Amino acid sequence: MLDYIIRRFVYTLITIVAVATILFILFRMLPGEPTMQVISPAMDPAVQERMKKAFGLNEPIWKQYFIYMKNLITLEWGRSFVSAQEVTSILSYRFWNTILLMAAGMCMTLVLGIGMGIIMAWRRNGAVDLIGTVVGLIFQAAPPFITGLLLLMILSYNMGFFPTGGMYAPGNRPDGLFDLLTTADFWHRLVLPTLTVGMYYISTPMLIMRDSMLEVLGSDYIELARAKGLKSRVIMIRHAARNALLGVVTIAGIMIGFAVGGQVVVESLFSWPGMGQLMVESAAQHDYPVAQGTFLMLAILVISLNFLTDVLYSYLDPRIKITAKGLS
Amino acid sequence: MINDTINRRTFLQGTAATGAALAATTAIPAFASAGQPVESMSVLTANASFDPVRPEMGRLITQAAKGIGWDIKLAAEDYNLGIGKVFKEQDFDMFIVRWTGRANRIDPETFIRMQHHKDGAYNKWGYDNPRINELGDAQQVAMVAEERQALVHEAQALLHEDAVRSPIVYPSMTNAYREDRLDGLVPMLGEGIGSFWTDINVSVKHGDGYVRTGQTSPLKNLNPVSATDSNEFKELRMIYDRLAQVDPSGKVVPWAATSIDIVDNTTVDIVLREGMKFHDGMPVTVDDVIFTFDYCTKWKAPFFISSLEKFESVTKTGANSLRIKLSAPHAPLMINFFCSIFILPQHIWKDIPEKANVDDVLNFANENPIGSGPFSFDYWDRGKELKVSANPDHFSPPKCAGIIRVTYGSHDAMAAAIEAGECDRTRYILKPALVEDLNKIDGIVGAGYASHGFYDLGYNVRRGPLADPAFRRAMDMIIPRDVIRDVVMSGFAENGGSVIAPANEFWHNSAVKSRPTNVKAARDVLAGAGYSWDGNGTLLYPA
Repeated sequence: MLDYIIRRFVYTLITIVAVATILFILFRMLPGEPTMQVISPAMDPAVQERMKKAFGLNEPIWKQYFIYMKNLITLEWGRSFVSAQEVTSILSYRFWNTILLMAAGMCMTLVLGIGMGIIMAWRRNGAVDLIGTVVGLIFQAAPPFITGLLLLMILSYNMGFFPTGGMYAPGNRPDGLFDLLTTADFWHRLVLPTLTVGMYYISTPMLIMRDSMLEVLGSDYIELARAKGLKSRVIMIRHAARNALLGVVTIAGIMIGFAVGGQVVVESLFSWPGMGQLMVESAAQHDYPVAQGTFLMLAILVISLNFLTDVLYSYLDPRIKITAKGLS
Repeated sequence: MINDTINRRTFLQGTAATGAALAATTAIPAFASAGQPVESMSVLTANASFDPVRPEMGRLITQAAKGIGWDIKLAAEDYNLGIGKVFKEQDFDMFIVRWTGRANRIDPETFIRMQHHKDGAYNKWGYDNPRINELGDAQQVAMVAEERQALVHEAQALLHEDAVRSPIVYPSMTNAYREDRLDGLVPMLGEGIGSFWTDINVSVKHGDGYVRTGQTSPLKNLNPVSATDSNEFKELRMIYDRLAQVDPSGKVVPWAATSIDIVDNTTVDIVLREGMKFHDGMPVTVDDVIFTFDYCTKWKAPFFISSLEKFESVTKTGANSLRIKLSAPHAPLMINFFCSIFILPQHIWKDIPEKANVDDVLNFANENPIGSGPFSFDYWDRGKELKVSANPDHFSPPKCAGIIRVTYGSHDAMAAAIEAGECDRTRYILKPALVEDLNKIDGIVGAGYASHGFYDLGYNVRRGPLADPAFRRAMDMIIPRDVIRDVVMSGFAENGGSVIAPANEFWHNSAVKSRPTNVKAARDVLAGAGYSWDGNGTLLYPA
């Protein structure tokens, strides 16, 4: 087991280094120079050269790469070309904003999705099953920028039930996370983006839970439980659902990874100051250090979640054996 | 006493030379493709997500070019990519851009010398006219306003005749605000109600007293030394004082300095206002002003260095006064420098960048800016909002509790926020069609305010037919300005003519008129210059 974990960990590190390298190359392939955003092209050429020097862009690419990798390892991710703020300080603030939004969206997705999956399997081929499947698939097929926009148009612009965006009312920045979480306004503003995320992802746990439940409900031990005269609710929750959860747990890690990456649209739509919005902003501004940092941080999060899922999978399902070659 | 830097003889000689220069520039160049079809070209501009108006103008112009038998395509691209192609690579045929009405552009330096002198920083068009070069240099050193005005007027006439570019329309600064919340807004030339004068004079009728100000472009940084973008200047000027300000009508007025006297062409005396304090309670002294000049020179502050390089010496002449000796006369100094540079607190900046742990001041984030301005800094959430509060100890204290600058993702989102009452006013341009819509709602005013900026079709005069002034004049005559003004700009504009807009009254040459749209007249101009058309109506070079 330990061998397996160490080997998977090494693979994870190699993947992260590969992602970091690809990011470095990709951003330098972008057309246009980063200094265009920071300094007017009408400025004196000597001043422009100085700007490049200040940002380390006067060095040859290979040297920039080695400095970049060294800084990554030593966690000195540099300063924004645009605002001169430290990348790590920008990321740490934005990261938690994204995590809050994603956590709310995933809680809604998993709780409702799993619950619906259980009921749909229990009432297979009934009206609930049919409506749940159709609605779930429609939600999945509708991209978040459509559902989000519709929610905004109807519930915010037309009916005025919710604010048009942002994490807090203008001028009322909370002092820290605790202050934010204890503000009613924050929860009010969280509703629409959470609904958007939740609606898009809900079909995944719902349909997987439904399928797993159907498989489990055909098992002998469920028959035995029925024969013992246990109540339906006990069989459904305690015996069937608990065992059927395994499939959802394994997919949850991957889904959360996708959800984090997919925050770009939702955050832009709802002006949520998270990693997704930062990603768009910094890429558009050619702010290499921030853009690279944002993409890399998301990549690390997704890769780490995959790693954890692999390890958890083997832990949760004793039927899975770990050999020298990996899972079998 | 101010000495003339251009004597009248030189000036008259210059005027007489205009005719010759004009004749030289209007001569038909010899084309390599004589008698061949004029090659297809493209109009480069920003895409609709950056500015919904530009691609529309481009489409109308490409359509109109069919009237003279010329095929041109529209290339609506990412704004920064386009800027790179024009300013870095000069790889473009024609370029539609909006020259915004920044305060420093009220001075004619930008639109006369920087844009058209052969060495002008913004002259990416490849334009080189000896008389314009002379006029550009002469107006820069002409310290007597009326003499400078005459030079600028002559340059405008020559540029218009030469059709080096086509000012398409002079757009108003389209803004909106909630009149049920705000009172006392002061529109300014080029900035509308987003002006500094609104910031300090606006009051809030109810609520917490803060003015929620919307803008679609994000604030980039808070470093007054590295700032180059008008976005930063508009926010930093609330926190930091400047020696002078441009008033709502475009005139220079004293601010932190009680007087700025031009003693002679190369000597400027400044007297600093007494009793000013930085937000941390330290007094603002003349030493801080001298330190600011020295510091910005030492670190080659990008926006200010070209002015500072003209300083020969700066000497303290009293407890509250100083004298600047210039190496040469420089007329744009007043707006470009004294109305722009921010007074830095020496006690803080003397240790920057060393104490900030960075090797260059350009890499200093200045996350807690301390100035002496009418507002003190509260916080900045990058990409979201900036909050500043009124400084009651300022010599011109604001009438509101503070300003909250909120960044919106799009013009539509900003308009929706104004409608919902979440935003009180716009700082910068709001799409004209949205202004029109908002104006119909009770409690909201949507209006256009005078601006000296303009939408412009610039020609790369190094390329093909664009090297020919007659061809450019014909192009200028086919631009459907009335349609652009009434439909694309929803009426919030005037037809373009001179490179100095009529709103900039002192410098504008009223004799330079917009060319009326007239395709037949344009074809006549082309025919007169030797162009012809084949059987399919395609435009051919002169044989």
